[in-house]
Amino acid sequence: MNGIIDIKDLCFRYSQENEKLDLSHIDLHVNEGEWLAIIGHNGSGKSTLAKAIDGLIEPEAGEVFIDGEKLTDKSLWNIRKKIGMVFQNPDNQFVGADVEGDVAFGLENQGIEREEMHARVKKALEVVDMQNFAKHEPVRLSGGQKQRVAIAGVLALRPKIVIFDESTSMLDPEGRLQIISLIRQMNQIEGFTVISITHDIDEASLADRVIVIDDGQIIDDSLPEKLFQKGEQLIDIGLDVPYPQRLKLELKKRGIQIPAEYMDEESMVNWLCRSILKN
Amino acid sequence: MSIHIEKLNYVYQSGTPFSHRALTDVSLDIADGSYTAIIGHTGSGKSTLLQHLNGLLKPTAGTLTVAGNKITPETKNKELNELRRHVGFIFQFPEAQLFEETVLKDIAFAPKNFGKSDEEAEDLAAKMAELVGLPASVLQNSPFELSGGQMRRVAIAGVLAMEPQILVLDEPTAGLDPKGRLEMMEMFERLHQQQNLTIILVTHQMNDVANYADHVLVMEEGRLIADSTPQEVFSDPKWLKGHHLGLPQTTAFAAKLADKGVPFKNLPLTEEQLAAQLAELLAGKGDEQHG
Repeated sequence: MNGIIDIKDLCFRYSQENEKLDLSHIDLHVNEGEWLAIIGHNGSGKSTLAKAIDGLIEPEAGEVFIDGEKLTDKSLWNIRKKIGMVFQNPDNQFVGADVEGDVAFGLENQGIEREEMHARVKKALEVVDMQNFAKHEPVRLSGGQKQRVAIAGVLALRPKIVIFDESTSMLDPEGRLQIISLIRQMNQIEGFTVISITHDIDEASLADRVIVIDDGQIIDDSLPEKLFQKGEQLIDIGLDVPYPQRLKLELKKRGIQIPAEYMDEESMVNWLCRSILKN
Repeated sequence: MSIHIEKLNYVYQSGTPFSHRALTDVSLDIADGSYTAIIGHTGSGKSTLLQHLNGLLKPTAGTLTVAGNKITPETKNKELNELRRHVGFIFQFPEAQLFEETVLKDIAFAPKNFGKSDEEAEDLAAKMAELVGLPASVLQNSPFELSGGQMRRVAIAGVLAMEPQILVLDEPTAGLDPKGRLEMMEMFERLHQQQNLTIILVTHQMNDVANYADHVLVMEEGRLIADSTPQEVFSDPKWLKGHHLGLPQTTAFAAKLADKGVPFKNLPLTEEQLAAQLAELLAGKGDEQHG
């Protein structure tokens, strides 16, 4: 029954002067190896929840358990070793003089032995496919490449949970797809528990489960395909309407009858082809 | 307030061992009242090109004429002031540049700096706040109490208060959620239409290029490799792929249908265009089925 993350009745406010809670009675259970997407519009409390999981903020009430251990002042440092975070802006996360040094930074901080460190850096760069850039300076890298290096830095520390906080939002389309496929690989092949905070519908659609945060509360907890049926309401919870849904609406406006059930891109393409190319 | 650029070259740290050529023989024209999108990868020279438009950089060789002001390698910095009044710049995360006590004062800062009286500047500021969709109730608040999206609007109003004729936008929607992004792009479209502003947008969002721009410039390794319309640039998915550039969602979706034999007259760029063509195709078949 113990999950990798268990949050019980968590409440938090940034300032005692705030009348409203910034996180309000959050209950959340995440299984080991799960990919959970957290969505919500700007200012809904998504990132605050991530901070609560990593012990970066102190709750007013409630409890957080990570890997069965209660988050307290004492357990904080041990728990943080189990959690890696990747943020939005790749430029703000680079600390090393070159790629290798950047990945090694966290390991040096933890006093890992030199030989072990080299092995871990090498392995991490292989996972993110940046082994050929080990000696490169950060300024010469694209946004997607920098973000891959940031992920390698997290991997080298061997956490159990990796939290991606809008990690694809500042990348160009190519970089964005690279990172999304890397997140998938980390979850499915490397076995990390993944939490991705995102506005990206492609990223959210790959998750096992999606929770929606609004006004500091969890207002929905469901499978991605179920959530995507909400059509235009998705805009209010910080996501885009999936493309096939948007096209459906446009076609409906023009009097075209389309099956009501949710269709992903492939099934929409197939449906349209069948209907147009019939006979 | 058109822009004319001829054989623009720029070399960073010219004459040193670190010398790096960022722009090579770029020539282009941007018409008065147009909406131009500049696309290309990180390091393609987009930002270097933009920085010439208000004299943050001066050409190593070549000339540009912006709103009647000619800039050459010899132009003195003092002569750039006139130019800067005409070209408003909105960089990524402009909210980081807010600093005043109140929203109104922050917006009024630039016009005051350019010689308007306090009263004139604040009148103008109130007008600009309305234009970007800020409620009057926040004008006396500290800009730092506002939400991220509203802070960005304050920063944009501050640029508009200089009454520029050309607005340069460098990924203005980075970090906003989809709703905020749409509202922001619609606001720029309104400014373009109503104030007749010339807009130059640097973006990775091909949907925005398809939905708003009438002119597209593609940069690669410091050279201008395409100067065309969205319709033309996006009609060649192979060429785009070869240059590691994406398609608008609609065009990508339509390309998949076309691959399976759906006969399009031309590849659509927007949902409306695609839906219209599909409706026509479906209606044709529908008649046959029922008839």
